Amino acid sequence: MFTSLIKSFLNLFKKPQTLAYPANAKPKEESYRGLIEYNEAECIYCLKCEKACPPGAILFPPVDKPPSDNEKNKKSLKYEYNPWLCIYCGECVRACPKPNEALWQSAKKQSVAVAEENVNGMWDAIEARKGIFTKNSSVPKE
Amino acid sequence: MSRKTINIPLGAQHISLLEPVRFKFECENEKIVGVDSDVGFVHRGVERACTTKFKFDAVGYVVARICGLCAITHSLAYTVAAENLLGAQVTAKAAYLRTLLLELDRIHSHMLCLSHTCENAGFEAMFMQIMGDRELVMEIQELISGNRVQFDYICIGGVNRDITAELGKKILENLTLVEKKVREYKDEFLNNWSLSLKFKGVGALSLEDAYRFNAIGPLARAAGLQTDVRNEMSYLPYKEIGFVMQMQESGDIHARNMVRLDEIQNSIEMCRNIVNGLPEGEIITKIKGKPQGETIVRYEAPRGELMYYVKGNGSAMLDRVRIKTPTFSSIPAFSEIFLGQEYADAPAILASFDPCLSCTAK
Repeated sequence: MFTSLIKSFLNLFKKPQTLAYPANAKPKEESYRGLIEYNEAECIYCLKCEKACPPGAILFPPVDKPPSDNEKNKKSLKYEYNPWLCIYCGECVRACPKPNEALWQSAKKQSVAVAEENVNGMWDAIEARKGIFTKNSSVPKE
Repeated sequence: MSRKTINIPLGAQHISLLEPVRFKFECENEKIVGVDSDVGFVHRGVERACTTKFKFDAVGYVVARICGLCAITHSLAYTVAAENLLGAQVTAKAAYLRTLLLELDRIHSHMLCLSHTCENAGFEAMFMQIMGDRELVMEIQELISGNRVQFDYICIGGVNRDITAELGKKILENLTLVEKKVREYKDEFLNNWSLSLKFKGVGALSLEDAYRFNAIGPLARAAGLQTDVRNEMSYLPYKEIGFVMQMQESGDIHARNMVRLDEIQNSIEMCRNIVNGLPEGEIITKIKGKPQGETIVRYEAPRGELMYYVKGNGSAMLDRVRIKTPTFSSIPAFSEIFLGQEYADAPAILASFDPCLSCTAK
């Protein structure tokens, strides 16, 4: 009892264990897992990342006009990435034949999505173009 | 004349519980004479999803999401099962790194349990203290795996990240700090008068009952039942890194807490041995093929034995994934312990089991 009293008295003069966030930002580490970044010019369109992604956050749906004149893009595909679906495991980067050139993992953080951005609706449309029909996705009207 | 009893429910939402579980206590005055339990409030259909929605190489990431505390144990158990089916071997370095994360997981999970037993015994300050110190371990895990809760560190064929020399130094530093704190807790748990009132002699499980109700994990080891999967398995190098089974005799809440504290100290020792003697080599080996056949893998999760049964049919989709979690196996023993106890002690006893309902209901 007596030692507890002394301890609690001494605690008054200790620094707090918590961080005064947001006044003091949390120290950022280089090794934190963040967004997947992509360089279209280096991509060889092998679609290995699409197959490796556990939640299906990388898709290559066909488009009418290819995003650039990359010769490897024979089927006119476009890289689509859903940062809100991504679990940041890095399987795509490990599957990529050109890691750090075509596809790499950064330490950047994705902002929170708001209703106005309609991220779910947009991603449903992309999945529908790819031929994946989820419970919530509606077939886009012609 | 019939006995007059009162039914008092504890849960599914209760102030002393983190997760939804319902116990119905039949009480005679203050004494509990009958227990009924229900655990299925957070069923998410993970086992079904593993065989219908995800290919076998993604299932490791799915099962990691069963539980936030033993995410590593779940993904490791599945991954080893998949490696057995594919006939693959991982390098010594990968096995050591897997063991390191597994033991760090055990340290922070046991610290969480200890803090909750303190909270439910009415010792809020100790709860804050232990939760604050737990951050030291979480920080190491975050630096190793790059994420705070869902580590996604283990993949089929090895591990995803290597540790650098500076990181190794940081791990040793933090572990030394944690060890010092754990020694202080041990003193507090042994000698603090108010904690002793709530813990010593309360919620005891005898050795015979531990056998009869098939208790596992710290619950069984506190009762003197020698059961620990780490002692029996060969695919992780536990023999080399100095694993010692921690035992107590009395089987009450105090004994369970002491087993957990001793295990934290043993785990810190093991982590230190791993970081100091990490073998050289690759962290990942490329594995090809599709799972064929069936296998059973057992691991020691922080709460006891975790069992995975995986059946493959030679295609990318698995036939069956069955997960038997430690809390589920311990429920008969839980119910037995409550009988004859005071109702007021029920939250403290429940917290000392360290139940993980999101594992159990999955």
